[in-house]
Amino acid sequence: MLVTGIKSKPVYTPLAPDLTGRYHLMLGHGVGREPLLRVLRDLRVAAPESGARTRVLFVGSPDEQAAGGEQFRAAGAAEVRLFGRPDELLTDFQDVLTHSFMGTRLYVAGPESFMGLAMRIARQFNLNKDEVRAEECGSAARRVYCIHCQTATENVTTNIVQCKDCNRWLLVRDHYSSRLAAYMGVMVDAEAPGERPDVKEVFP
Amino acid sequence: MSHADTIAVRVVAVEQVTPQIKHFKLAAVDGSRLPAFSGGSHIIVVMRDVDRVHRNPYSLLGIPGELETYEIAVRRMEQSRGGSQFMHDTVQVGSTLEIAHPVNLFGLSKIGRKHILIAGGVGITPILAQMEDLHQDSVPYEIHYSVRSPEHAAFLARLGNRAAERLNVYYDSSGDAIDFDGLLSTQPLGTHFYVCGPAGMIQLVLAKAREWGWPESHIHWEQFSAPPAGEAFDVHLAKASLDVHVVPDQSLLECIEAAGVEVPYLCRGGVCGFCRTDVLELDGELIHNDHYLSDEEKASGRVIMPCVSRARCRKLVLDL
Repeated sequence: MLVTGIKSKPVYTPLAPDLTGRYHLMLGHGVGREPLLRVLRDLRVAAPESGARTRVLFVGSPDEQAAGGEQFRAAGAAEVRLFGRPDELLTDFQDVLTHSFMGTRLYVAGPESFMGLAMRIARQFNLNKDEVRAEECGSAARRVYCIHCQTATENVTTNIVQCKDCNRWLLVRDHYSSRLAAYMGVMVDAEAPGERPDVKEVFP
Repeated sequence: MSHADTIAVRVVAVEQVTPQIKHFKLAAVDGSRLPAFSGGSHIIVVMRDVDRVHRNPYSLLGIPGELETYEIAVRRMEQSRGGSQFMHDTVQVGSTLEIAHPVNLFGLSKIGRKHILIAGGVGITPILAQMEDLHQDSVPYEIHYSVRSPEHAAFLARLGNRAAERLNVYYDSSGDAIDFDGLLSTQPLGTHFYVCGPAGMIQLVLAKAREWGWPESHIHWEQFSAPPAGEAFDVHLAKASLDVHVVPDQSLLECIEAAGVEVPYLCRGGVCGFCRTDVLELDGELIHNDHYLSDEEKASGRVIMPCVSRARCRKLVLDL
């Protein structure tokens, strides 16, 4: 029933420093800390002078923040900002982008839904594919956009989910909207009410 | 693109705008409106000279949307292969020419948040039409126009009328130069720049942009190379079973066309990649003059852009 090979599904790849960039802005969520530390260390080896132009925004639990803050600075980040909630980080991210210059490279590491929201903001600033690198780590849970009532349901880990707003049962597609930062959810039993496939966890 | 696709036009106005640049207005011979174009587009002008045909690319500098006439500007080239001299010396009001449909290889980014237009000399022509496109929009832009001296500054009035507060003019004669470090180091995210001018200027801007970390997707440039002259050589066209002699002052493409074989093209200046042709056999070396093929492709000896590139060879067989 799921259509595979849909081109809009975002493809994320392991992070590596982009030495053509002049400024390096890094966004991390939870276990996204490890990839960012790796980039910072690689960057320091390949281009030691770039450390002064490196900034990290990180969201995590109090423990993750404490450990992350120390590790990012030790790995060479010139500035580290820590947040307890993703929306706080994303608000600050917009402010940082407003004051950033051309030549900035963005690195994002975190769970699926965080990536989508961060990428949506980057896109609003016309950051193109050759300016952004993203590595998915942590939960693959999706934001699912109900195409019927036009609301998003967060943290969906299953193939079928009930819309939190209109209660329709939605099939979670690979069809992704970068504008909405969500996967499309389409009513699964529209033609035969009540006939639904088994609900399985597919986005752990 | 074949001759069947060209549009017959008549020259309806000619003006000498600087000591070296003439401005032409062209209207369709049959009185119809010309095809729509966007800022940055060029046309190929086909000029039927006494003993040969010239096909040169020229940017459209008029207002996109005003399609009664097309406007082009032609700089007389010191080492002209004949095209610009023909336009300057032979073409006058009432002359007829053929043109190919407009093509845009230098278009504005639709999602850019700011645009910086940089021109050197006659490179101002595509910038003029881009300015008209941007004038319709609310996205900020600025123009940086570098010329030898005030008498060489074409279209200043037009630029001033539309974009006085966004226009910066630099005269070599006064010792002015565009401060590329200042211009490229502190632009907000989402800025695109567009540069058209002499090769040296483009190389300098591109080098500075890379130094400041600009990614390729925000860099736009256009420079039509005139096909350089070179030694004569012979080429065999495999599909047509024809031998063609390429003379020193004509391009490979022109000689192939003169032999009656059509090669698809859009720009004739080494930019668009349309005339890309596979090399089947080569005993000698290719002289690549285009801005399209990658260094690896150029080194492979397997592919050539006949509009501007040549060969120094004992044998060359093309897949044509």
